[in-house]
Amino acid sequence: MDNFRKIDIDQFDEDVLLETELYEPYPLDPAQALDDAKQKAAAVRSSLSKGDIPGALGTILEGVPYGPNVEDAKTLTLQTLVTILNSTKSSDVSNIVKALSQDQQDTLMKYIYKGMGMPGWGDVSGSVLLGWHEKLTEAAGIGCIVRTLTDRRTV
Amino acid sequence: MSNTLRPYLAAVRSTLTAALTLENFSSQVVERHNKPEVEVRGSKEVLLNPLTISRNENERVLIEPSVNSIRLSIKIKQSDEIERIICHKFARFMMQRAESFIVLRRKPVPGYDISFLITNVHTETMLKHKMVDFIIHFMEEVDKEISEMKLSVNARARVVAESYLTAFNS
Amino acid sequence: MSAPEIHSLSATPITSHSFNGDRSQVAVSLNSNDVTIYSRQGKDWNVTETLSEHDKLITSIDWAPNSNRIVTASQDRNAYVWQETPDPQTGKLVWKPTLVLLRINRAATFVRWSPNEDKFAVATGARAIAVCSYDSENNWWVSRHLKKPIRSTVLSLDWHPNNVLLAAGSADMKARVFSAYIKDVDSRPPPSVWGERLPFNTVCGEYGSPSGGWVHAVGFSPSGDVLAFASHDSTISIVYPSGPVIYTIKLNSLPYVTLSWTSEDSLIAAGHDCQPIVFSGSAGGWHLVGTLDDTSAAKQSGGTRGFGVAGSQVGRLNSAAFHTFRQADSRGTSSPTSAAGSGSTDTELLTVHQNTITSIRPFSGTADRVAQVSTTGVDGRLVIWDVNNVTELTGKMGALRLH
Repeated sequence: MDNFRKIDIDQFDEDVLLETELYEPYPLDPAQALDDAKQKAAAVRSSLSKGDIPGALGTILEGVPYGPNVEDAKTLTLQTLVTILNSTKSSDVSNIVKALSQDQQDTLMKYIYKGMGMPGWGDVSGSVLLGWHEKLTEAAGIGCIVRTLTDRRTV
Repeated sequence: MSNTLRPYLAAVRSTLTAALTLENFSSQVVERHNKPEVEVRGSKEVLLNPLTISRNENERVLIEPSVNSIRLSIKIKQSDEIERIICHKFARFMMQRAESFIVLRRKPVPGYDISFLITNVHTETMLKHKMVDFIIHFMEEVDKEISEMKLSVNARARVVAESYLTAFNS
Repeated sequence: MSAPEIHSLSATPITSHSFNGDRSQVAVSLNSNDVTIYSRQGKDWNVTETLSEHDKLITSIDWAPNSNRIVTASQDRNAYVWQETPDPQTGKLVWKPTLVLLRINRAATFVRWSPNEDKFAVATGARAIAVCSYDSENNWWVSRHLKKPIRSTVLSLDWHPNNVLLAAGSADMKARVFSAYIKDVDSRPPPSVWGERLPFNTVCGEYGSPSGGWVHAVGFSPSGDVLAFASHDSTISIVYPSGPVIYTIKLNSLPYVTLSWTSEDSLIAAGHDCQPIVFSGSAGGWHLVGTLDDTSAAKQSGGTRGFGVAGSQVGRLNSAAFHTFRQADSRGTSSPTSAAGSGSTDTELLTVHQNTITSIRPFSGTADRVAQVSTTGVDGRLVIWDVNNVTELTGKMGALRLH
């Protein structure tokens, strides 16, 4: 009888915007996303063996998995990207980021922050990520960071 | 290691500048209220993605932005027991005097040593680029302060031990 | 090609401003519950009246140029329409408020008169827009709500020239065009690119911001056929509804919070970057042209600076305050040679506005060929810019200081 005082009335509010309604849902389902990520990882490995960093980045930064269900695909994509970032010479970083398109720059910035959020995971190296962050901010401006803050499609 | 300090602080500076785009926003949940949305966390659409900038596992900065307020939490480098104690006392000292600091939060966000809460009222009365300068300067100084304090603790311990033990030397 | 006219009206932020028809007076909200009216006397703007009626911060003011009425909206859930009437005792003209029954249960955030000045729309935090018209039988303003499909606070509005369509930008990341057709007030509008036969609350278009940012500002072009909106993800989107074709310009700078069209093919946006930026284009594409704020030229102390000293004092005071706190705090043996806060040389930004620009409005010229725009910001300044005085944006933007 007294329980009505303890009800959290806000959870019954039907009009509230849910987190998931704030962005377009990711089109592929988890299995397809993982396959896609594996294919891209293979393509990236071959690009890296040829020393083609811009090509590798171009492959991995298109159609990235985002959202709540595709954790495996997201982890694999992050691992692949970190490998690319670690294998780039620091003198080349500046030119490579300038050659990326705006959408690719925004996606790369999202991954840099994701990597910095997991220090010590896998191959993640704080100094490499900070170096890329600095060059990318110079090329893409603060607007790129603002878009990382607002874009709900978290990679 | 120190060659990552400059890009670390530059990254914090640029992320903070991007996040300090605050405006007055009246509460959507309670009428006639105006609260920092990052603390209330009621409406999901007015909160932005939290970002972490880390130099290594022991030094991190977490920035949680929203439409009218941001929360910035710092994890200070503490490599041994003495530094841990000093850092804890130092942070406590500052947080107990959070009123004078204006932008300091009285309790750190869990997992971090010290937190700042900056709202639209602060960005209206103060200059944003100077606030960013203040935070960066704070981050630089806090490490120096803690090392200085550790050295003075060690020096005093040595002096005390010496003067105590000379009594047994005659 | 004249330099901008700078007027430092106060040390507190200016939340909103609106000029009267002949630009001799301006009504501003100085981050307070009152409207302050400044009148132009020579080169200065001086306070002539204060209108007090609201209990909480006034978020928006609009002054109808032809019928000389002011409408104000506030966070106390009310709106008032002020009219200049002769005071019965003294015979002077005073501003008399009339309460508007908005029937909202959250703050009002934005208000605009319609082009014919017979209606006005109020954006609210109650996830609705209140469109108000005058009911002469009962001698008050009544409102009708546009509710669906708005899911969050509405941040800004703009009327279409045909007096019926209304664009709204909201915190649920969408810009929408509604029909605000009220039967007894409006005559049936001619069909336009947005549709025909539009009853009240029809959604003629809904456009999302590209990277999910709150839509801070919306604006119809002078003809009404194009819609532009600025959102928090540092983008400006221009919508041509017949496709619909949407051009998105992703920017390198901080987000814009206000915009104003200056002609059918150009618009000016301003915001957290503290300078007005000009964009131009057509149905084939849009691009950034330049800034109205020439940050490379030496800043003369031209323009009236009524309270100019107060502005820079605020900066100096604050760096001194931080310095005091740092020293008062027992920071071990820190020497006073700490680098930051080194006097007033680095407290001023290179742009004219020292803090975010919150509002930009056309000042002179016609709707489809605006000659000057006025801007007000959080730094308490009112600046009037010449629209043609455009300079290229250099690599390092004036206001940003990335070390």
